[in-house]
Amino acid sequence: MSVTAAGLRDRLQNGELRGLLVAPIVLFDLLVFVVPFGYLLRISLTERTQRGAFVEGSWSLEAFQYVLSTPTLIDSFLFTLWFAAGVTALSLGISLLYAYAIWRAAGGLRVALLGGVLVSMLTAIVVKLFAVQQLFAPNGVINQGVLATGVIQEPLALINSAAGAVIGQLYIVVPYSVLAIYSVLSSVDESLLDAARDLGAGRLRAVVEVIIPHTIPGLIVAGVISFTWSVGSFAAPLLAGSSAERTTGIAISDLLQQNFDWAAAAAMGLLVATTVFVALAVTYGLLSYTGGGTDG
Amino acid sequence: MGNTDRALRWLFRAGYGTVFLLLVAPVVVVTATSLSATTAVTFPPTDLSFRWYTTLFTRRVWMQAVQNSLLTAGGTAVFSTGLGVAGALGARHLSDRSQIAVSGLVLVPLLVPGVVLGVSLLIFFSRFGLQQRLSTIVLAHALWATPLTFSVMRATFSRFDWQLQEAAMDLGASRLRAFREVVVPNTVSGLVAAAAIAFVVSLQEFIMALFLSGRETRTIPVESWFALRGSLSPLVSVASTLLVGAVVLTLIIAATAIGLERVADDT
Repeated sequence: MSVTAAGLRDRLQNGELRGLLVAPIVLFDLLVFVVPFGYLLRISLTERTQRGAFVEGSWSLEAFQYVLSTPTLIDSFLFTLWFAAGVTALSLGISLLYAYAIWRAAGGLRVALLGGVLVSMLTAIVVKLFAVQQLFAPNGVINQGVLATGVIQEPLALINSAAGAVIGQLYIVVPYSVLAIYSVLSSVDESLLDAARDLGAGRLRAVVEVIIPHTIPGLIVAGVISFTWSVGSFAAPLLAGSSAERTTGIAISDLLQQNFDWAAAAAMGLLVATTVFVALAVTYGLLSYTGGGTDG
Repeated sequence: MGNTDRALRWLFRAGYGTVFLLLVAPVVVVTATSLSATTAVTFPPTDLSFRWYTTLFTRRVWMQAVQNSLLTAGGTAVFSTGLGVAGALGARHLSDRSQIAVSGLVLVPLLVPGVVLGVSLLIFFSRFGLQQRLSTIVLAHALWATPLTFSVMRATFSRFDWQLQEAAMDLGASRLRAFREVVVPNTVSGLVAAAAIAFVVSLQEFIMALFLSGRETRTIPVESWFALRGSLSPLVSVASTLLVGAVVLTLIIAATAIGLERVADDT
């Protein structure tokens, strides 16, 4: 078959080449994601230099050696892993509770609860962190409220502390986490719960033994979202945490913009990306193991 | 048993009630503090006024930020929706394996932290002297918006009865005309939703924008970020309130187009 312009047009009109419509999106992701990522890898393999960015055309493992032998960078990486694990655990607990509440609610309450998640999801991160600073400050409404009950005598350090970094990060991941769980839960038949209770299970037992197993695919997706985003956290620890909460994201930004050490910044960025991909691979394994799949 | 159940139910209500309040609190706080009559950012505010709203419109940096945000979000919406529509139409005609490969490639950037993408794009675009431009911020935002427009459009097209298009073509319409007059009107709600979601993603993204913007190309979130790290004034609250307002307005458009529950399910 000859490839002529007319022949090509005929084939397009007959719809034979409609699959080609994926070309723009594939090309876009190759050029703006895959190629820049490859370039990041290349830069991480150059020699470090005191005089700006990196040494053009050089090959070296120096940047990785530097990252893996500098105590502050290792500490920040380990801290980030702990931080991400803690945020993920809290996020899963909160999101499961809330998604379950949406699922059980009916009518106006359901719309309101769902609306709350969407409003939060659509509030820019910067706006949320700004509000966190106001709400959780020592003289903010939350501390004042708890002080008024007399449970505590001194305001709690809910911002400019590790707690602040965690609260800020939860504000970023929880809405997405709720939606991931709810989208799975919404396909579960509510009469399952009644059936379990008819058979004599208590409320809590019915939920734990009948409902939660059905939400596992949603929990896994929520866990992935919470963990991967927290591994790359930057804004929350910087605005709501103290200087002790130095995540890898902050370290990368400092290396890039303050030290102009692009090779080391690239190596550190790859370390974060690798952590994310390992977490994803493990999750993918878990998903195929439990046999559950989601399209979300 | 009855008592434990009742206590449990109240605990459950208190739990989700608290989460609900915390979820909506930021919007309440920024709106309230934006109406401050003084130069202090305090919640709850003591006196109310619109003075900071009028002040914002006289500040060049903030007006520049508003303009940059609208251009970036508009650009991202058009670009990502175009890619998403074409990609979703094309994907229907690929083998299962190719479909998975394409979806995988499109989805991966959504899972890469913004800091890593930001650094990678900054280093890459600097090579060509293209940093600090709005168009590079649009490309960066499209990395996160396109997976969403792509999946919304795939869901939309999978619900469409393609026999209608066949019918139109049997009646003599060309493929293009059948698409324009039969497919588009029936899937326009999905199209609007996809564009709205892309718009919103771009409007509120700021980590990549922080790395990729220069003094002249800061978006509202980036400008707010610098304001937050400097001295605090109710101007940040005003900008934040406008940002939330723009986002909610866009959401309402999307929600009326396809229904609230489907916005949640498709993305």
